[in-house]
Amino acid sequence: MESTNGYLLKVEDLKTYFPIRKGLLRRTVGYVRAVDGVSFDVRRGRTLGLVGESGCGKTTVARTIVRLIPATAGRVSFEKTDILRADKKQMRNIRSNISLIFQDPFGSLNPRMTVGNIVGEPLKVHKRITGTELMGRVGDILSRVGLSRDHINRYPHEFSGGQRQRIGIARALILEPKLVVCDEPVSALDVSIQSQILNLLKDLQGEFELTYLFIAHDLAVVEFSCDAVAVMYLGKIVERAPADELYRNPLHPYTIALMSAIPRVDPSQRRARAVLGGEVPSASNPPKGCRFHTRCPLAEGECFEQTPPLEEKDGGKGHFVACWKR
Amino acid sequence: MTEHQQTIKKAPKGRSLWQDGLRRLVRRKLAMVCLVVVVLYFLLAGFLYVAEFFDWQVGPIRWAEEVGESYQPPSSNSIFGTDIFGQSVLRKTLYGTKISITVALCASFISIAIGVPLGAIAGYFRGFVDEIIVWIYSTLSSIPYILLILAFAVVLRDKTLFGHKLAGITSVYLAIGLTSWVGICRLVRGEIIKHKEREYVLAARSYGCSTRRIIFQHLIPNVFHIVIIDFSLRFVAFIHAEVILSFLGLGEADRPSWGAMINDARIELSRGVWWQMVAATLAIFFISLALNIFGDALRDSLDPKLRVQ
Repeated sequence: MESTNGYLLKVEDLKTYFPIRKGLLRRTVGYVRAVDGVSFDVRRGRTLGLVGESGCGKTTVARTIVRLIPATAGRVSFEKTDILRADKKQMRNIRSNISLIFQDPFGSLNPRMTVGNIVGEPLKVHKRITGTELMGRVGDILSRVGLSRDHINRYPHEFSGGQRQRIGIARALILEPKLVVCDEPVSALDVSIQSQILNLLKDLQGEFELTYLFIAHDLAVVEFSCDAVAVMYLGKIVERAPADELYRNPLHPYTIALMSAIPRVDPSQRRARAVLGGEVPSASNPPKGCRFHTRCPLAEGECFEQTPPLEEKDGGKGHFVACWKR
Repeated sequence: MTEHQQTIKKAPKGRSLWQDGLRRLVRRKLAMVCLVVVVLYFLLAGFLYVAEFFDWQVGPIRWAEEVGESYQPPSSNSIFGTDIFGQSVLRKTLYGTKISITVALCASFISIAIGVPLGAIAGYFRGFVDEIIVWIYSTLSSIPYILLILAFAVVLRDKTLFGHKLAGITSVYLAIGLTSWVGICRLVRGEIIKHKEREYVLAARSYGCSTRRIIFQHLIPNVFHIVIIDFSLRFVAFIHAEVILSFLGLGEADRPSWGAMINDARIELSRGVWWQMVAATLAIFFISLALNIFGDALRDSLDPKLRVQ
């Protein structure tokens, strides 16, 4: 029997605030509400895409889930454990079961370590495997991600961006985790390399029975790889739906604007671009009411006063929207 | 052995950033000449230690002993003339290398041993620990440098430490080392703060690396080039500090050092005896120049950001 009804990861009302300190006594004068009440779940073996523009809190969500950043409130259940309240021993287990793939293939590998040591370190830390056996395992995983076994003694600066991202993926997979959090894994890569990496991730998902939390700022990338999508705006989720449903029938005006930014192959198919005006408001002083009202073409009345709840719309398809106008 | 293990065994070696930096360093001719000069100084100092150990008579047993005519000007049989006791100034100058190199080397190691771990701890943990360490070094660095060294040297002089009486030279390098870790500590702290938010450190934390492992396996190797560069440049400052202390009479009393020679020259200059001064100054000048040029080259070649792709 599946532990939590087929959900591997369940995030409930997660909040991450960063204190703003000012003055001589470093008093806290306010908070940046980077993540402000986010809930979602990821089904075993599936991929959830988390999208939104830069600075909306996607990366903070990812880092809070694995406790690289302390959470302010909320609950993150992984299998049966509450990650945010796990003790040291449980945390060790969780760390071997959740791994991260980072955005920047240049910054995420220690430039002074060989590929063998970079990829093998999680094994060294968790399983106490060393020497030839360790390098054998590293060689295996390298060949699975499309690199060669004889790359183990080389250094990160001797590889291209796409190859380095493969090294990062190998490191994330060597412990055979259940959940992989991909934090914009392709946005720093050339378009031609992007598709290679996305295909690789997809293949590996089948092979290792992985579950992905896939963060991106580009709906086109997410369309290709996700089963369900959550759209974030300024620390909150504004729309959440199965991928095909979301692409067929986007409801939130912010999602519609993001969708219209996806370039289409057919140039004759002219569409009305929903271009958003203005800037993202500051997360330290978010607008009252719906957070999107400052840029929303539909905003009126209660949008300025009340925060809309994330509610299921259009009955039974699992399509959740936080908008008064829908 | 399986085929895969064979492949792994035969895997070609990559070039690390260290090897990469060294390759670039070796290509700089001027830096290499300077390195040779520095190495010669070190070899001379080393040789004097070996000579002392095996009782080879390379210098007089007592320097303050009349051996010939005082204040002979430079001539063909003694290049830098003689001092008040008729001792060869050239020999004194060469001998002075030993004390300068010893003091600078020991002081460097002391300041690195204190500064690097403190800087790493302050930079990694931040918060309360950081504030204490920053407070300590800010306080230390607010005291004028010479006064601080002098105070330390005077206090440490002729004290016993672990049953050993601190000879003049020991108190000098202890004084310099204990007061001059501030610079390296500050550098390391800043660099660690910069690196600890990098994604490779976050990655290490995400798969559960211990804090010790993160600091020693990930962070220190990535900031250590700064320590080496700083060492090469600060070495000169330490030689100067030793000279100043000896000049002020706090150094080694019965063996020649460059500072003591310059101190002697104070009185001698009024009598037109300039050679002791010139000899000591030249000795200091050449090692300072060589270390400075070499240190600059080291900085240019070891900084991974300046790598030519």
